[in-house]
Amino acid sequence: MEFLNKFPVMERTSLMELKKGIDLSFRQFSRKYGDGIENFFDPLLFFLIKLEKLLLSTPWPIIILIIGILAWIGSRSWVLVIGSTLSFLAIGYFGMWKDCMATVAIISVCTTVCIAIGIPIGIIMSKSNRAEKTILPILDMMQTIPSFVYLIPILMLLGIGKVPGLIAVCIYAVPPVIRLTNLGIREVDKETLEASEAFGATTFQKLKSVQIPLSLPTIFAGVNQTIMMALAMVVIASMIGVKGLGVPILRAISNQYLALGLMNGLAIVALAIIFDRITQEYGRRIQKHRGQKK
Amino acid sequence: MNIKKIILSALLVLGIGSFSGIANAECGKVVVANQNWASAELMAEVDKIILEKGYGCEVELIPGATMPTFTSMDEKGAPDMNPEQWANAVYTPLIKAVEEKRLVIANKAPITGLGEGWWLTPGAIKKHPELKGMTAMEILKHPEWFPYAEDSSKGAFIGCPAGWGCQLANANLYRAFEMEKKGWVLVDPGSAAGLDGSISKAADSGNPWFGYYWNPTSIVGKYDLQPVPWGIDFAGRDNWDNCITKAEQDCADPKPTAWTKSEVNTIITSKFAKQGGKAIVKYIGKRTYPGPVMNGMLVWMADNQAGGSDAAIEFLSKHEDVWGKWVSSKVAKKIKAGL
Repeated sequence: MEFLNKFPVMERTSLMELKKGIDLSFRQFSRKYGDGIENFFDPLLFFLIKLEKLLLSTPWPIIILIIGILAWIGSRSWVLVIGSTLSFLAIGYFGMWKDCMATVAIISVCTTVCIAIGIPIGIIMSKSNRAEKTILPILDMMQTIPSFVYLIPILMLLGIGKVPGLIAVCIYAVPPVIRLTNLGIREVDKETLEASEAFGATTFQKLKSVQIPLSLPTIFAGVNQTIMMALAMVVIASMIGVKGLGVPILRAISNQYLALGLMNGLAIVALAIIFDRITQEYGRRIQKHRGQKK
Repeated sequence: MNIKKIILSALLVLGIGSFSGIANAECGKVVVANQNWASAELMAEVDKIILEKGYGCEVELIPGATMPTFTSMDEKGAPDMNPEQWANAVYTPLIKAVEEKRLVIANKAPITGLGEGWWLTPGAIKKHPELKGMTAMEILKHPEWFPYAEDSSKGAFIGCPAGWGCQLANANLYRAFEMEKKGWVLVDPGSAAGLDGSISKAADSGNPWFGYYWNPTSIVGKYDLQPVPWGIDFAGRDNWDNCITKAEQDCADPKPTAWTKSEVNTIITSKFAKQGGKAIVKYIGKRTYPGPVMNGMLVWMADNQAGGSDAAIEFLSKHEDVWGKWVSSKVAKKIKAGL
């Protein structure tokens, strides 16, 4: 009866030993390789700092002009161009320009890194069922494991600052682009593929000229999701010393500064909406283009 | 038929369980703030056990932190008690709340030998032996000894996470000492985990680290952090209370000063002081943890990865000589029986 009422638990001391052992071995690992890993990420840090400095030292009207032009290139919609210009003007007017640029810098670098890592992995997944079976659970884990849990090993390995923050954001934000690249390529019409095979296309040619162009809208939806998720992680990244809009939000939470929290929160929302609309419109335009050709 | 019986008995057990909870409530329901650092957690859990077993209260612990807990106690009268309120951060409003009889300082020194200040890792002193015995004012002349990862031409001073009371003080001292001109960057570690992580990372790899921390903590004990003497006098309460601890826009002209002497209180709401009765207020008033005992408990917690509740049981079973003096022998017996 006692066996049924009481869950058989690992003995307290051995459980503690197990936890301590895991901690100790990771600590030894980080002592041994921490500096090496840090050096490995140095180029990334250099790039991040340069981009942030560039964004901050460029006069603000030029930045706003560039954003307007990007919005036009992406969406070809005057509403979006005017909307994003006004949002950035408001962000600057309410004194959030510096934090906003820091956030834009980390989001841009993060998105670039995620695309650079995510699309090749997605392609590998689409080519091999076994790869898909192994990678999918890992992606599930990356998306559901509470971010505070992997902040601990990242902190132990890399300390605080931009690079560990970037890694934390990427862990959370990279899965959508991988998933949707895989999905997009797998969904390409079998008959189209057969046609290209009939013309004697090699595997690489098929990938480059048929599968990727046809799955581009889906891949773009993935990139869009990745940007959104990266923005959602801005506050968490601030908890390990990343400058940006997350820092005032943390300050607002601990001090009950309602207005400060709301303003910075809305600034993140504005960034998200601008990025989202521009990339979505861009994705839709690619699709339209394909529709016309058909 | 069988299933029905099982369900019935389950309901019965649940019913009895919840009844016994109510039967305990003599002094009523007490909400205690469980702040998010080790010593505060330990104190909250010890208070919970002593109040529940010794005085028949029904104690609920709710998470908290220096500023939010104080604001909530001051404005809303809840939680009823904060075992470890760092008073420097809330000096002026606390005095006001006590004068207006909303809050009561039930214990002026719940832990002995504590303090906030600036610290160095042993690795810093090993790399630059000149640091030994240097005051903060002298160290500030050498930012090159603490290179900042994101701009190695500057020195990194690790301040307080955003939202902590000490963040404002460090930011204002940073201005008062003209640290920016001297080539320093004030790094915001973002969170408690970030601050601790930056220390353990630096200490583990033997790198120099210079920044803010406080005692008693397991971090200070574990990594043997060295306190830095200020080399400057405390420039008066007025400067500290009305400028250094204020937000930057409310402190136009911060004067250089040493850190104020740390004051930690146990504060309770006046409602709880009445409701709990004299015996409980007397217990809280006597409840002083000697510094070495507290540090020992904190290192034990860190070594065993124990939370506040495990540590409270460890404390109550190992250190009866300490807590035995806080309560009457009758209450002590009740607590021991309840463990």
